[in-house]
Amino acid sequence: MPLKVALADYGVGNLHSIRKALENCGASVEVVEDMSLLQEAECIVLPGVGAFDRTMERLQPFREAIVQRLNEGVPCLGICIGMQILFQGSEEGQGPGLGFLHGNVVRLKAPRIPHMGWNTVDTDDVIMNGVQDNHFYFAHSFRASPEDGSDIGHTDYYGMIPTLMRKANTYGTQFHPEKSSTAGMAFLNNFVHFAEDRK
Amino acid sequence: MSLTKRIIPCLDVKNGAVVKGIKFLDLKDVGYPPEMAEAYEKQGADEIVFLDISASAEGRRTLLDIVEETAKRLFVPLTVGGGIREKDDMRAALNAGADKVSMNTVAVLRPEMISECAKDFGSQCVVVAIDAKRRGGGWTVYTHGGRQDARMDMVEWARKVEDLGAGEILLTSMDADGTKDGYDIEMTRAVAEAVNIPVIASGGCGSPKHILDVLRGTKAEAALAASIFHYGQWTVRDVKSYLRENGVEVR
Repeated sequence: MPLKVALADYGVGNLHSIRKALENCGASVEVVEDMSLLQEAECIVLPGVGAFDRTMERLQPFREAIVQRLNEGVPCLGICIGMQILFQGSEEGQGPGLGFLHGNVVRLKAPRIPHMGWNTVDTDDVIMNGVQDNHFYFAHSFRASPEDGSDIGHTDYYGMIPTLMRKANTYGTQFHPEKSSTAGMAFLNNFVHFAEDRK
Repeated sequence: MSLTKRIIPCLDVKNGAVVKGIKFLDLKDVGYPPEMAEAYEKQGADEIVFLDISASAEGRRTLLDIVEETAKRLFVPLTVGGGIREKDDMRAALNAGADKVSMNTVAVLRPEMISECAKDFGSQCVVVAIDAKRRGGGWTVYTHGGRQDARMDMVEWARKVEDLGAGEILLTSMDADGTKDGYDIEMTRAVAEAVNIPVIASGGCGSPKHILDVLRGTKAEAALAASIFHYGQWTVRDVKSYLRENGVEVR
């Protein structure tokens, strides 16, 4: 049986690329509008579209239940804003995030904002095993500021910024693997295998 | 290691086919957009731009189908522009699979569109395209596919779109466009130094050397080109090896 991924649809932006990319890696993808279904999912993907508050809107009623599942070890991948909402809050929004990761999301400080384009990720984590060309696509104006040591990968953009998080079986990426061509596909392939082993 | 410079093939799309205009004229069919986009990704393109130059609503609907088809095959970012008049046009393009949407004429006519779209969809997906021509010691902005003088100074306009929340500027020199004599370096430099958002240089590319010149001679983050790639003179890979040999960091 292929890995069943519940892909959260917050009601903003398109999920074509991430869906197709996960399917190419052998997963079966269900796009989920009813966020209560995430509680029963064998693997959760929080995609990277939209702004902080809008993204949290549908998730808000199920916050505690989702966090409990993540703490229990359900494999999860949060991409860009989908990673940022794993934290407690953001300077981009008013409302709280999921609060699974400790720390907040802060405005990026650099002479050029957004940080837009292809950059490298410095990490020793197994999730990057076999990734040939270590360049990933970024497009963001805010960044994570973890307080729990969950940042296991960093990127140089006018100073080192946290761009890969991990806690329990949850990964969070500031970059968009689904927009990162062959490197992104290798990363997603590793994630799907990682999730299969832990479902 | 740090952020690399981007090379962006641009596909001018009319009624579902890729065409390349020379100074906005003389259109000639050269290919099917989703296939070309995929081929460019394989060559190492960092991003793809679709510019819809259909005049009709029908042509625009065709484009959305093509965007959707492309998004299922393409795993690098896709920017869609041309004919964006309302926030709903932008929403439709994003829902079809565009990662960013570029607006030009509407931004000049109703600058508040920029801030509204940035608020709803995020700055990172709002690109403002600026077409400009040399006049006196500066540059002036044109709209309507280069047909109408907007009577605005380019640098002032670039600063304003940044203030309104644009995430990127796609800057085309109308003097250079189609000449294959190289980008307008001075013009690109003027905008890239005036703003703090990324700038894509466009118009005039005829060789890898031109791309090197604009990326080395200005603060532009990216260079856009069409015909040098469409006619198979150079692949994106050729251009990138050349840039790398000359000390420009690329993916």
